[in-house]
Amino acid sequence: MKKEITKYYPLIPVFAAYLVLFLIGKNISGMWQLVAMLLFYCAMGQAFNIFLGMTGYVDFGYVAFMGVGTYGMALSITNLAHIEGLGIGIIIIGFILALVMSTLLSMAVGAVALRLRGAYFAIATIGVNEGFRFLIEGARIWNGSEGLIFTAQLNQILGREGASSLMTFWADIMVLIIAALAAFVTLFYMRSKIGYALTALREDEDAAKVMGINVTKYKIIAFITSACFAGLVGAASWALKTPYVFPPEVFEIHYTIEAIIIVLLGGAGTLLGPVAGGLIYGISKYYLAIFMPGFQLLVFAPIIIIIIVLFPEGVVGMLKSRTKDSVLARFII
Amino acid sequence: MSLLKLENVTKRFGGLIAVNKVSLEISKGEFVGIVGPNGSGKTTLFNVISGVYFPEEGRVIFDGLDITTLQPYKRAPLGLGRTFQIPRPFASATVRENVAVGAMFGSLSGKVGVDESLEIADQTIERVRLQEHRDKPAGTLTPVEKKLMEIARALAMKPKLLLMDEAMAGMHPNDIDHMVAFIKQVAVEEKIAIVAMVEHIMRAVVGMAEKVIVLHQGSKIVDAPTKEALEDPKVVEVYLGHPPEE
Repeated sequence: MKKEITKYYPLIPVFAAYLVLFLIGKNISGMWQLVAMLLFYCAMGQAFNIFLGMTGYVDFGYVAFMGVGTYGMALSITNLAHIEGLGIGIIIIGFILALVMSTLLSMAVGAVALRLRGAYFAIATIGVNEGFRFLIEGARIWNGSEGLIFTAQLNQILGREGASSLMTFWADIMVLIIAALAAFVTLFYMRSKIGYALTALREDEDAAKVMGINVTKYKIIAFITSACFAGLVGAASWALKTPYVFPPEVFEIHYTIEAIIIVLLGGAGTLLGPVAGGLIYGISKYYLAIFMPGFQLLVFAPIIIIIIVLFPEGVVGMLKSRTKDSVLARFII
Repeated sequence: MSLLKLENVTKRFGGLIAVNKVSLEISKGEFVGIVGPNGSGKTTLFNVISGVYFPEEGRVIFDGLDITTLQPYKRAPLGLGRTFQIPRPFASATVRENVAVGAMFGSLSGKVGVDESLEIADQTIERVRLQEHRDKPAGTLTPVEKKLMEIARALAMKPKLLLMDEAMAGMHPNDIDHMVAFIKQVAVEEKIAIVAMVEHIMRAVVGMAEKVIVLHQGSKIVDAPTKEALEDPKVVEVYLGHPPEE
């Protein structure tokens, strides 16, 4: 039994980081906006890490899963708001819909794209995101390019007060919970056969096959899990925080790039990496925009390059090898 | 009954016939060397047996089961293990994790848990005397250690047949002797049939194989007990060329 508990020690630094973030945001006035942004980046990194970090496959269409998750929540609110008595249930249905929709899309994408390897996979997935966006706009699905605006419905469900506290506080708490859940699932995978299979296929897919690993199955597991969390992050952070959704905003490739940077900066395939990456990325982006408006990207790019050059395994990857023989080793993975 | 049986197996790459109508049989616990110069089709033959390629013609039968077009990952649990010519460790994982992967996914029972696999890994690592390196990332090992690790990883699968691709290439003669003795001992103890592919290091073949199969330009030219095979004029010709005319 004791062994079972020590297995989950690495979650302590992750959860501690989230707790500190929460306390800072709650107690220092004016900080909640920054904290919310950091939580979003950590959650996105944590979700993407399950696929990018653990399999080594780069999915450039990742934001599409966040996009359909956002639509899942939006559709639930716009279509169910008139039903009396559902109340907060509509939000729960929204999350379920976000899960179902991101799962379905990831299954469809995975079934085709996961047959490809390496760079070919990356190229194929770039098309998915753009294609899905143009499908929604062109075929006028879910109101097409006019998008869905549901501020009124949200007010109707939760009341003006409730809706405003959801947008400014509870939505961020939900993002925090999703990030923590993603961390838990990551560690659970790492400690199970799934993690061993994913490490093996990331390092050498052909050797993994010969060792008896059904690589397709494990890639799909990681892909779907990662997409599910992306859908939830979209639903909480995009649909609930800002009660409208427009295709060009949620299918913006920019977010995929940010997610990739966060995962690589922190350390791909590590548990703590996305938290470290999310914090470094979010904090630098926020303060550079304040102190050097207009020049932030010019300064930001070299910083990222320097970090990647200094720590090719990511910040946590570096910490991991530094603390290998110390007591800290069991907390940092 | 034979453990592995190939019936008229042919594998082509476009116009090139890499393996040409090869038939062979390996019995349980047998130690067989596959010999042939560069480009004779040895590696392709190995890839056909382990499922990396499917043959265009012929059948591959393992343990009574037709596995000609079975996916490679389904072959390992049947008891078909393999090592590579250039070791292919899962570099970022530790030696222990590498070997555990073998036990976890390659074992016959198919239902070996993580903890049990790690235990099997520890025992197997001790057998190949890599205990000092147990917690190092496999990528940091020396080439010889990587080979030992690959053998441990394959042994952890508890195979019935182990395909060894140039296991001895690039090793010091002393290491080869040690390795040959070790492999032979394990094979006898665990009743594993071994098919070892050899390109140059004949002393390794002579040391362990009971039978030698010689390939030349994709075809099998000799299949005989070791001593007989190595003295066969056709083999000498393949390796050394025509004897000078009088």
